[in-house]
Amino acid sequence: MNELIPLMVIVPMMAALLISAFSKFDKVIKVFAFVVALCLPIIPLLSNYGVHYFGGYAPIVDNITNILYHPAITYSFNFPQQIFIGMVGILTFLVVFIYLTKYTKVSGPYLFLLFMGTAAVTALILTDDIFHMFVFFEILALAQVGIVAASSIDYSYEMALKYMILGSIGSPIMLLGIGFLLAMTGTVNITDIVAIIRDGIISTSSPMFFLSLALIFFGWLYASGLPPFHTIKSGIYSKAEPHGAALLQSFTVISMISIVIIMFRIYSVLPIFEVLIVLFSVLAMILGVSLALTQTDFRRMIGFLAVGELGFIGLGIGLGTQYAITAGLFQALNEIVITALLFIGFGAIVNATNEVDTRKLGGLLASHPKVGIMLLIGGLAMAGVPPLSGFQSKLMLVQASLSCGYPELSILTIMVSIATFVVFVKTFYSMFLRPKPHDLEVVDKDVPRAMIFAMVVLLIIIVALGIFPDVVTNGISNFVGGMLH
Amino acid sequence: MLDYILMIIIVVSAILALIQKDLLKAAILTGFSGGALAVLFQIMLAPDVALTQAIVGAAIVPVFIALAVKKTQRGDA
Amino acid sequence: MAHTQLAVLFTSVALIVIGLYAAIFVDNIIKKIIGISFIEEGANLFIVGIGYKPGGIVPILMPGMNSTWFASNASYPLPYGLVLTSIVIGASTLAVMLALVMVLYRRYGTLSTSVMLADTSHQEEYDE
Repeated sequence: MNELIPLMVIVPMMAALLISAFSKFDKVIKVFAFVVALCLPIIPLLSNYGVHYFGGYAPIVDNITNILYHPAITYSFNFPQQIFIGMVGILTFLVVFIYLTKYTKVSGPYLFLLFMGTAAVTALILTDDIFHMFVFFEILALAQVGIVAASSIDYSYEMALKYMILGSIGSPIMLLGIGFLLAMTGTVNITDIVAIIRDGIISTSSPMFFLSLALIFFGWLYASGLPPFHTIKSGIYSKAEPHGAALLQSFTVISMISIVIIMFRIYSVLPIFEVLIVLFSVLAMILGVSLALTQTDFRRMIGFLAVGELGFIGLGIGLGTQYAITAGLFQALNEIVITALLFIGFGAIVNATNEVDTRKLGGLLASHPKVGIMLLIGGLAMAGVPPLSGFQSKLMLVQASLSCGYPELSILTIMVSIATFVVFVKTFYSMFLRPKPHDLEVVDKDVPRAMIFAMVVLLIIIVALGIFPDVVTNGISNFVGGMLH
Repeated sequence: MLDYILMIIIVVSAILALIQKDLLKAAILTGFSGGALAVLFQIMLAPDVALTQAIVGAAIVPVFIALAVKKTQRGDA
Repeated sequence: MAHTQLAVLFTSVALIVIGLYAAIFVDNIIKKIIGISFIEEGANLFIVGIGYKPGGIVPILMPGMNSTWFASNASYPLPYGLVLTSIVIGASTLAVMLALVMVLYRRYGTLSTSVMLADTSHQEEYDE
C-alpha cells in the first residue's frame, strides 16, 4: 500500500489545519486530536516500502545521455524512515495525550503546532528533494518557535525570538547553498544530484561545490543545535513546557539525521566533509556535557545533555563506514526515546514542586517513588549502562571508532559517557536522595496519570531496544549498505 | 540599462532603510527595495515571481513593518 | 549578455552582506528584522539569477511555438518555482517575528535588543 506514504505527512497536516479552524468545538477537537494522534504511529507500520512520486510523474530516461531524471517531488520510504516516523508518531501520541488530559479547555493553535511539527519532520525524513527539505525545515522552525512561545515559563518569548532570528539568518544561507547545487547540477532531486556527481559531470573539486557544502552545513548546524548553536538549543528546551520539550528534541534529532544523510549522500566524495562532521560532533559532546555539569536548572541540564548526545550521532555518521552509520542512526533512535522520557519525568517534578533549581530540591524519592525510579533508569540508559538501549548504541559507536582506526575517539566517547553518568547521578542525588530542605513545599498533587503512562511506554521501548537491538540495527544496516553502494 | 538602474535602487534603498532614524521611513524604503526587486524579476523573465514579489515585497512586508512600528515606537532608540 | 548575470550576482551578494551586517550589528530589533528580509531577498535574487537566460524568453509555452525552439530559448523555470515558495516563507517568518516583537515591546517598552534579548540564563542564577 504505497498510497499511505504521502498520507504520513498529509494526515497530521490536515489534522492541524482542521483543529485550528474548528478550535471552538472543544469536545469534538479533543476526540479528533486523540484519534489522529493514535493513527500517526499506525500508518507507517501498515505502509509498504517504496517510493512515491507526487502527481504520478514517474522518472524519465534521457534518450541521449541515458540518465534517469526524476521530475516529481519524490518520497522514499524504507526501514529507517518507518522506524523513525513510527517513533515520532508514538511520541506525538503520548505528548498530545498528556496535553489533552492536563487541560480541560484545549488550545487549538497549540495542537496545530504539535501536529504541524510532526508533519514537518515526517516530510524531512521522507523527502528525496533538497528544496522540499528546505521548505519543511522552515515550517519546522516556525512550529518550534510557536511551541516555545506558547509555554507559560518566564522569558519564553525572548528565547523564541532569539531562536527565530538565528533561524532566519540560517535558512536563507541554507537556501543559497541549495542554489549553488541547483546552479551546478540543474536539479533539486537528490538521487539525480548524486548520479550527476558519480558520473563526473560536475567537478567536485570546484570551489562552488565546496561553498555549497559550507552553506548547507551552516543550516544543518542551526537545525541540529550543534556548536555554536548549542546554547540556544538547550535554551529552547528549557523554556518549553516539558511535554513540548520532549517533542522538540525528537524534532531536532530527526531533522539532524535527515539533513546529514542528505549531505552525506551528496558530499561524501569530499574528504573534508567527514572531518567537519566529526569535529563539530566532538565539540558538541565536550561542550554539552561540561556545560551540563555547571547548570543548576535541571531542565537546562537535560537540554545540554541532549545536545551532547547529538554529538554521538554525528560521530557515527562522520566516521562513514556502514557499521558506524548504523551505530549513529541507532543512537539517534535511542536518544529520541530516552531524552523524551527524561523531559517528561522532570516535567512531572516541576508540576509537583514548582521549583527547577536542583540546589533547593531534595528528598523527592519519598513523595514520588515511581517517577524517581523511572527517571533513574532513563538516566542510566542515557549514560550507557547495560542492558539498556543507550549501552548498545554506544558500544557500537566505540567499536566503530576502534575499527576505523581512531582509538582516541573511542576513548573520548567512553569519557563523555562517564561524564554524562556523573552529571546525571549528581542531579539525581540532589533532587531525590538527599534530605528534604525545610523550605521546600511539595504541592500535594499526584503526578498526572498520563505522564506516568507515557513514561512507562517509553521505558518499555528502552528496555526492549536494549535487549533486542538486532530488530532495529539489522534493518538500518541493510539500508546504510544500500546507501553506500 | 533599466536593470542596472534597478539594481542600484535596490542596494541604495536597502542601505538608506538601515540608516534612517525614523522607523516608518525605513519601512517605506524597504518597500522601495522590494518593489524594484519585483521589476527586476520581470526583466529577468520571471513574471510569476515578479507578481508575488510585487505583492509581498512592495506591499505586505512594509505594511507589516509599519503596523509593528505603529504598535511600538517610531524612533530608533 | 553575461554582464547582467554578473551584476545580478553582485546585487544579491550586496543585499546579503547588508542584511547580515544589520542582523548582527544593529541594535534596533525592527532594523534587525528588516536586515533579515534583505538576506532573504538576496538569496531569492541569486536563485532567480540561476534560471535567467540573457536574451531568452519567458518560460511559458504559448500555442504555436516550436517546442525544440522553446527548449533552447526559454529560461530555466525550476528556480522560479522555488523562489515563489521562498518569498512566501520569508513573509510569514517576518510576520511571526514582528508579532513576537510587539508582545515583547509591551513588557520592556523599548526596541533595543541589548535590553530585550539580554542573556537571561545568568540573571536567573544571581537574582535568587
